[in-house]
Amino acid sequence: MKKRGIGYAATFYGTGYGNGFPDESRATVEINANGEIILSVEVSDVGSGGISVMWQIASETLNIDRNLIKLQYDNTSKMLDSGTAAASRQTYNTGNAVLDACKKIKINIDKYYNKVEIIKNKKVLTELYQKFISDNQELKYEGYFKATTSQVDLETGIGEPYWPYTFGINRAIVEVDCETGKVDVIDVVAVYDAGKIVNPVLAEGQIIGGVSMGMGYAIMEEVNVLKGSIKNCNYSDYIIPTSKDMPKVTTYFVEANEASGPYGAKGLGEPAMLPTAPAILNAIYDAIGVRLTEFPATCDRILLELKNKGV
Amino acid sequence: MIKVTMTVNGKLYTREIPPMMRLLDFIRDELKLKGTKEGCGEGECGACTVIIDGDIYNSCMVLATSCEGKRITTIEGISGAELHPIQEAFLEVNAVQCGYCTPGMILSAKALLDKNINATEKEMKEAISGNLCRCTGYQKIIEAVKLAQKKLKKR
Repeated sequence: MKKRGIGYAATFYGTGYGNGFPDESRATVEINANGEIILSVEVSDVGSGGISVMWQIASETLNIDRNLIKLQYDNTSKMLDSGTAAASRQTYNTGNAVLDACKKIKINIDKYYNKVEIIKNKKVLTELYQKFISDNQELKYEGYFKATTSQVDLETGIGEPYWPYTFGINRAIVEVDCETGKVDVIDVVAVYDAGKIVNPVLAEGQIIGGVSMGMGYAIMEEVNVLKGSIKNCNYSDYIIPTSKDMPKVTTYFVEANEASGPYGAKGLGEPAMLPTAPAILNAIYDAIGVRLTEFPATCDRILLELKNKGV
Repeated sequence: MIKVTMTVNGKLYTREIPPMMRLLDFIRDELKLKGTKEGCGEGECGACTVIIDGDIYNSCMVLATSCEGKRITTIEGISGAELHPIQEAFLEVNAVQCGYCTPGMILSAKALLDKNINATEKEMKEAISGNLCRCTGYQKIIEAVKLAQKKLKKR
């Protein structure tokens, strides 16, 4: 017999390295004779969308069309350190450094160009460059951001390990086959407060990907370690979700403004997968009344728990 | 060394190759077509998917010499001056994150839609189920295949 259940789980997760670890990002922006803005920022983008996000923040701040902004991001010998693409920190931390650099050059751009219209013409930038040269203005500006973080006192528990926090909740609907122990995840709704969402399309992609990883974590993926070596290090025995396993995922964002973030944004990378697995386990409990305390909820574990319960 | 002749992306190639060379290495190292990716190298992940005479194969599991006289399509071969509608659709719905699975996904989708332009969502999921993706959660990839189906029907 197949039984359905609904489960919820919530998460809150700090943006950045945290716990007092120095968390710094840098970026530079310059105007050149060719009528281009060169934004140099060491944002590693392995599919997370960091490049697009930095580009958007620069374009918005400078009021200059994206096509006139050249983004350099792939040569660490030519640019300043923006830290790692880790800890859900690029949009918030590095985004803030880009914002800082762009604000600095914008003050001087405003002296010569004070129209509301976005700059789309290369000629305008070439003229700006000429004026920067003739008035002896700096051509290159450095942006910097350091996150607020302090180590937690282990005695008192007092400290500010992270700033800011991202909040999220998942609702999962599962179907458990009581004869085979197989769990199917039917539907997941994911709601997040990651501040202002800089790029909604990319952010939605992050969430669906996170749900897929969270689902693998909950019902499929198990690392079998024997005497320090992993016994299932191939895709044939370490099973991850395929297109046929994925539930329907619906994503919502509660865009509560984060005052310290670039345009109100917070980190989103890691929180995207956190509530999925506990929501699925809660849904399994709702469906068949057994509380699994070990991941993943494989057929053998489910059947064993059902047997122990005497069902 | 063994002489092998096959058509790749409409062009006839003849090469002298070691008998145990995989089709994947033939495509990447002999023909220098780097769009075909190697993922697991053992036929599980689908990153190296190519189309051989209309069917999809993991090119890491195929010996190049077994492709004598066959017609191979790689990701480089599906577009001309303009992108193929499936590629357009992948861009439009943001079905790409890190991009490593994308060539294989697009070829699996193409093989399906070439055979059955009226494929259902279930058939689409089945068609790309041999292509693993760790970033996207597949949802937007399926959306892209649906959009590509609409585009191809209009043509």
